Amino acid sequence: MIDRYPPPAPVRRRFRDLRDRLFTLLVGACGIGVILAVLAIGVFLFVEVVPLFGGDTPASETQATTEIDFESLWLPQQYPDYETPRYRWQANVLSEDDTPMFSLTPLAWGTLKAAAYALLFAIPLALGAAIHSACFMSRRLRHRLKPALELMEALPGVVIGFVAGLVLAPYVERHLVGALALVLILPLGLLVAGVVHSCLPATLARALSLSRAGLWLIPWLALLVALAMVMSPYLEVVWFGGDMRAWLEQQLGLDYAMRNAMIVGLAMGFAIIPTIYALAEEALSGVPDSLSEGAQALGASRWQTLWNVILPAASPGIFSAVMIGAGRAVGETMIVLMATGNTALMTLSPLDGMRSMAANIAIELPEAAAGGTHYRVLLLCAFLLFVFTFCVNTLAEIVRGRLSHRYRRLGGLA
Amino acid sequence: MSIRCRTALLLWILLIWPVVGTMAQAPEGPVVGNLDSIGSDTMAGLMLRWGERLEERHPAVRLQMQASGSSTAPAALAEGTTRLGAMSRRMTTSERETFEAHHGYPPVEIPVAMDALAVFVNRHNPLDEVSMKQLDAIFSDTHDCGAKRSIDRWEALGTPDFAGPIDRHSRNSVSGSYGVFRREALCGGNFRVDVNEHPGSSAVVAAVAATTGGIGYSGIGYVTVAVKPLALRKGDGPAVSPSERATLSGEYPLSRTLYLYVNLPPGERLPATEHAFLDLVLSPEGQDGVRESGFIPLPDMVIAAIRQAMGLNRPWGEGSS
Repeated sequence: MIDRYPPPAPVRRRFRDLRDRLFTLLVGACGIGVILAVLAIGVFLFVEVVPLFGGDTPASETQATTEIDFESLWLPQQYPDYETPRYRWQANVLSEDDTPMFSLTPLAWGTLKAAAYALLFAIPLALGAAIHSACFMSRRLRHRLKPALELMEALPGVVIGFVAGLVLAPYVERHLVGALALVLILPLGLLVAGVVHSCLPATLARALSLSRAGLWLIPWLALLVALAMVMSPYLEVVWFGGDMRAWLEQQLGLDYAMRNAMIVGLAMGFAIIPTIYALAEEALSGVPDSLSEGAQALGASRWQTLWNVILPAASPGIFSAVMIGAGRAVGETMIVLMATGNTALMTLSPLDGMRSMAANIAIELPEAAAGGTHYRVLLLCAFLLFVFTFCVNTLAEIVRGRLSHRYRRLGGLA
Repeated sequence: MSIRCRTALLLWILLIWPVVGTMAQAPEGPVVGNLDSIGSDTMAGLMLRWGERLEERHPAVRLQMQASGSSTAPAALAEGTTRLGAMSRRMTTSERETFEAHHGYPPVEIPVAMDALAVFVNRHNPLDEVSMKQLDAIFSDTHDCGAKRSIDRWEALGTPDFAGPIDRHSRNSVSGSYGVFRREALCGGNFRVDVNEHPGSSAVVAAVAATTGGIGYSGIGYVTVAVKPLALRKGDGPAVSPSERATLSGEYPLSRTLYLYVNLPPGERLPATEHAFLDLVLSPEGQDGVRESGFIPLPDMVIAAIRQAMGLNRPWGEGSS
């Protein structure tokens, strides 16, 4: 063997050692700085919130803080103008005898409702895409798809919120039946495509291979969308007697708000799909080849391998992908702010709006006088969001760490 | 001008007089610097227009503004983040107290224009007028103006050909329009929970324009052809449209004054940039900008009184007599 790298001269080596050590220190300092910054945010929020629950307010404070207990934040309260106790968020104060109403329950409800609808939309699509691209898609197509999804992730929330609130919401309101028809027709149409594909003669089936299903399905999907839109006026007459909104109101007692949970779910789902997809795809394609090859050698079909070997092996990774997606959905501000009416309602209906904690902070923090009760209640919201996302992300990271450990034990690359 | 407005103005002039009377001498020179303003979204377009004209007059002055809602102005003024705040409503007592607690003196209040808060519906809606009581029944769930029950459908307002649920749109609570509407139209009561809250006036207009059954409110300057402003009826009186005359006379129930608030310690003179800005705002040129933005200029008499009180009639740098 030829020694192509002669040992470096002592002086150069010493210089290199010094440089290495310097950079290690620098990088270490940056890392510690980031961790300290995150902790400092948590501590700041905590310190600002403490006076709400009867801690000592600093003497220099110019704003009085009214003490608030757990009960008045989370349980229904009896307010002057109403007959029954209720959950209300109303921070605007007109005069001295006007009582602000700080009930966090509707805000927490709105936050979780928005996240739940977003996940409802995003999980099937993101996981389906991840499974398809990790297990079925050709390598070339996968390399094209990934940048496209990353681009989707780079879209700012304001843009998505704007499109959802000012373009999508009015459009869906005008074509409500079409939107409903899409939800029914698309999955059915895909099933039909699968059945037809399995009946195709061998030559045609080879031309339309499964690894490129993402491409040849596009015209078929476009056709289904067009069909749903063309059919929607007739469907409205047949199913809902000509006016779906009136039907909803009369038959189900539901009022359709233009900016509702459905729109938010769609918009925020769109925003968290790339996150869930990227993490789930990583977990799925990290499953050691020896496992799936072993299963197929024992006679399992592709589908059986997927369900019984790959998915169980990657399940912690998929779980952590969903958790991180949920964390992002809970903290997302601009989409919820712009795509809902910010109505602090507490209903489950997908046709009602909601007001989330993050959006509420964005709306009201600029008006809250620093140090006042309103300000501190808003920071309490921020603190709760911080704790929630901190826990969710930590949990997801722990699970992910276990996963890579498991893969290493099973003999994979990761 | 109503009597209340006039007394408020008089009081204000009395308040400002000692401040102006003791202004100190300062050196003269070209006006240079940045002017920061925080506050009303309703006045955003107006402030922008004034800012452009200010740059024409004094090329070295820049107006930087942040317009997310009137309630952001008192908080920023008290914290010292800005010295100039735009508000589409008056400061409340508690906001004034917060300011005084921080600085030890009250903020200077300057009326700069009049505005009618227009209540509007979609242009396909046949409705032309609505009474204040009906407005309360539509938007509130406490009914402090005395409505017996909520109005949820358009039929209940006497439009037989136009049926359907009412879709309510409002500004968010940071907004001065929100405060004025709550005080004047809801008699201080609460908005319903299902009233959509939008971050800006144009967002309210856009939402009502896009919803056939929509109703909303904003400053008259933001109203477009896609929405139809309603005439308002107070008590048994006639329905009044938000015209210039009806707004100035106070006949239109939701007329209001737009204000600038300045952080000015008593006994000190306005800094050069603020002086230049207010001089422009309270000039015929500035009041033209008010009209171009769709708001209503103050009567000349009032302008003259304010200019006198603020010491704007002397060029900056000349001491007070």
